[in-house]
Amino acid sequence: MTSTAPRFPDPYAIPTPPGADGWEEMYPYYNRFLESRRELDSQRTWFLNSMHFPEPMPPFDIVTSDSAFMSVGVMNSRVFALPPALGLDVRVLNGYVYMSSNGVEDPEEIGRRAQEFGVRAGHYYQNWPDLYAAWETKVRAQIAALKAIEIPDLGDLEPRDRVLAARGIASSNDLLVAYQRILASLDAAWNLHSELLNLGYAAYLNFLMLCKGHFPEITDQAVAKMVSGVDVLLFRPDDELKKLAALAVELGVADRIIAGEDPGPEWLAAYAESAEPWFHFSYGNGFYHHHRSWSDDPSFPLAMIGEYAQRLRKGEDLSRPLAAVSAERDAVVERYRGLIDTGEGRQAFDEALGLSRVVFPYVENHNFFIEHWYMTVFWNKMRSLGELFVRHGFFDAVDDLFFLRRAEVGDALVDLQMAWCAGGRPHGPDHWPAIVRQRRETYAALARWSPPPALGPAPGQIVEPMTIMLWGITDEQVAGWLAAQEGTGTVRTLRGFAGSPGVAEGRARVVLRPADLSTVEDGEILVAPITSPSWTPVFARIKGAVSDIGGIMCHAAIVSREYGLPAVVGTGTGTSTIRTGQMIRVDGDTGAVTLLDD
Amino acid sequence: MTYIRWFDEVRAGDRPTVGGKCASLGELISAGIAVPQGFAVTVDAYAAHCAGFRDRLAGAAPGDAGALVRAAAMPAQVEAEVRAAYADLCRHEGRADLPVAVRSSAVAEDGDAASFAGQQETYLWTVGADDVVARVRDCWASLYTPQAVAYRARLPEERAAEATRIAVGVQAMVDATVSGVAFTVSPRTGDRSVVAVNASWGLGQAVVSGEVTPDEFWLSKAGPTLTARTVAHKARECRPAPDGRGVVTVDVPVERRDAATLDGERLRALASLAMRVEEHYGCPQDIEWALDASGRFLVLQSRPETTWRARQAARAARPANAFLNLVHTIGTQR
Repeated sequence: MTSTAPRFPDPYAIPTPPGADGWEEMYPYYNRFLESRRELDSQRTWFLNSMHFPEPMPPFDIVTSDSAFMSVGVMNSRVFALPPALGLDVRVLNGYVYMSSNGVEDPEEIGRRAQEFGVRAGHYYQNWPDLYAAWETKVRAQIAALKAIEIPDLGDLEPRDRVLAARGIASSNDLLVAYQRILASLDAAWNLHSELLNLGYAAYLNFLMLCKGHFPEITDQAVAKMVSGVDVLLFRPDDELKKLAALAVELGVADRIIAGEDPGPEWLAAYAESAEPWFHFSYGNGFYHHHRSWSDDPSFPLAMIGEYAQRLRKGEDLSRPLAAVSAERDAVVERYRGLIDTGEGRQAFDEALGLSRVVFPYVENHNFFIEHWYMTVFWNKMRSLGELFVRHGFFDAVDDLFFLRRAEVGDALVDLQMAWCAGGRPHGPDHWPAIVRQRRETYAALARWSPPPALGPAPGQIVEPMTIMLWGITDEQVAGWLAAQEGTGTVRTLRGFAGSPGVAEGRARVVLRPADLSTVEDGEILVAPITSPSWTPVFARIKGAVSDIGGIMCHAAIVSREYGLPAVVGTGTGTSTIRTGQMIRVDGDTGAVTLLDD
Repeated sequence: MTYIRWFDEVRAGDRPTVGGKCASLGELISAGIAVPQGFAVTVDAYAAHCAGFRDRLAGAAPGDAGALVRAAAMPAQVEAEVRAAYADLCRHEGRADLPVAVRSSAVAEDGDAASFAGQQETYLWTVGADDVVARVRDCWASLYTPQAVAYRARLPEERAAEATRIAVGVQAMVDATVSGVAFTVSPRTGDRSVVAVNASWGLGQAVVSGEVTPDEFWLSKAGPTLTARTVAHKARECRPAPDGRGVVTVDVPVERRDAATLDGERLRALASLAMRVEEHYGCPQDIEWALDASGRFLVLQSRPETTWRARQAARAARPANAFLNLVHTIGTQR
């Protein structure tokens, strides 16, 4: 490597942000850039995974990164034997998650893996609808099992009936088992998350590349439109809100809901029915303990039900035009198909499109099951463990638990077990509060830091399609990042993907976290790091949307198209460049965001 | 009328009578595409014009032949019919002394090559019946420019004879607010799902002469949907001269210089129009268009765009990626 080759910052030369000294102790050794591995790790290119981990990781929350990367990796490397691609190595730097992919280069090895892949993946493709149905059953079972895990109370005495039944094993052991089960369940759920995912993406990618072969300038948007389902789970929670709004109008209780008064048992029963499971819908992406869901905090869904009810009373039709969407999809397919000259070409197009549509319900819907529903239950189960620690004086607040690493939670648990068994006083209350206080400050300092998009030597040409597809990392993007770190000029125009057509001008509203969603006012342009599908209802208020992260399948784009709002996604730096109140122009036709005033 | 055919009554099959250009305009009209109205002065009109001096014409040197054609009085019936048709056209467009384009319309299949050889003239902004008659004669005379003669000299006898059969089109000029070209295939990659549009203020000449960099728009035929837009700085535009004869180049008012010439809705309408033209001809087209003051798009001319046809055919039906090929095979086997 010569000194003139383009480079991103060396991970070993990045300074600790002010106020974040000692951040390393919040993360396990296997996730860090260790001094002893400088030779190895500084030679590799690392990309920031801001798509899934836009915020620094609280110490416990790293379990989601661990499990997610492990499961994607194991499916590629050992379960399906993808010929060219293995998994990703993960490092945490100043709290942010970076990744570097492992590949297979040896042609002989690729050949051997291709044979295995053919058998294994072939089985999945040919039995996809059945396997997808079975998958849903497995996930529901996993969620039910997680819910059923009991965190023992650790009261004064063991319950008498257990003793008389000669159980022999005490509640302190149950506590240990419960924690281990929760962690094992998380890992299993993420295995399931990834079971069908990359096979699904590969089938989609096959169609995408086929389209690009015929139509080099086809947009990802157009390809997605041909494959996308008309009725996807993503919209189900929003549909439930509309349904509840309609019921409120019918029962004459809309004003009570708007005023925050009791709407009566009939409506509440309907709400409860919708909520399970549809309101286990994360305000964020489910990867962080503080990304609560509608079921945890119903203020947003209730506000939207009120808004929808008012619109219904004005005679508005809130239903989504499914027939029109479906007709448009068919028209797009016919348009492209008709431009392919040969029968052979049209047959390959039909086959690839057919396969994509078979796999796509999983690609579109898995998110609700794992990231939203499962993770809502998971974080709440961990919270009930936090409550136990609060009762025993370890923490002031339930959420303090998430400022311990998973191994430290295990230690604290043994501490509690030992003290409870011995009838003594645990160390925890004298040990943890000061550490948690310190870590919360460190965490806040890390949150103020802007992580570079990549580390280490700039990569050669990026050709591996899965990288481009899954992470949206392209040669142009890398070149853009390199140019940006040279600091060329003041930014007046941001570039991203044209997510949803149209042009809108308006005042920007930068929303960094779901809690700030209520600040969004009518006619503003939403600027956010990512948008979760649970933000969907707020799209009824805004004029346009801009996101830092997002590509082909990004929620902001899908939802914007549905609402007919211009959107530019994947701008990289929207939230750090644009200020709330600034006039901006969103050009969803071309993927440009222009800052109109200073 | 013997020597006049209106555009809206001719079809592709009338090429031997009205020439390729006029036949093509007739085709477009029959396909429901808006084209400025006009008429063809038929091949027979030219034959009648030359009837009295055919022998002298055959023996004349190129320069003399042209002068001969231009100097000869137009047969009375031909001239009367041209004047009557022009008067009809003026009435139809609601304007006396309507500015028109007078242009040659060759019968030969290789009309494009012939136009390079200079044997097809175009006279824009012709005003008044006297000038129309004179320009029709000029078009006829253009068959005898040195280049045109040299061109025909290289052709086999039969085709050379055909290349001297010529009609003339007389067509209303459009006082365009915006004009430009549209390709129904990407000039960048040959992607047939793309419509590429160039547009500038006023009449098309400013772009052709290179005086103005046009706005550039890219659309996908699906929808159609706008996918990219580059709005250029357009300082000058061509407008019809106040007397209707010819054009003048003027400064674009400051507030329009950096504004987009077409909005999303108009672009989608233009792309749909271009796609209808392409569909009608069954192959990619290079279309000259104008937006008139009433907000209507008119097609001025459409030519097949052939550059990319071969490359398109050579394109592989499946991606050249071993992994994806494997996915396709195992995913779609029965």
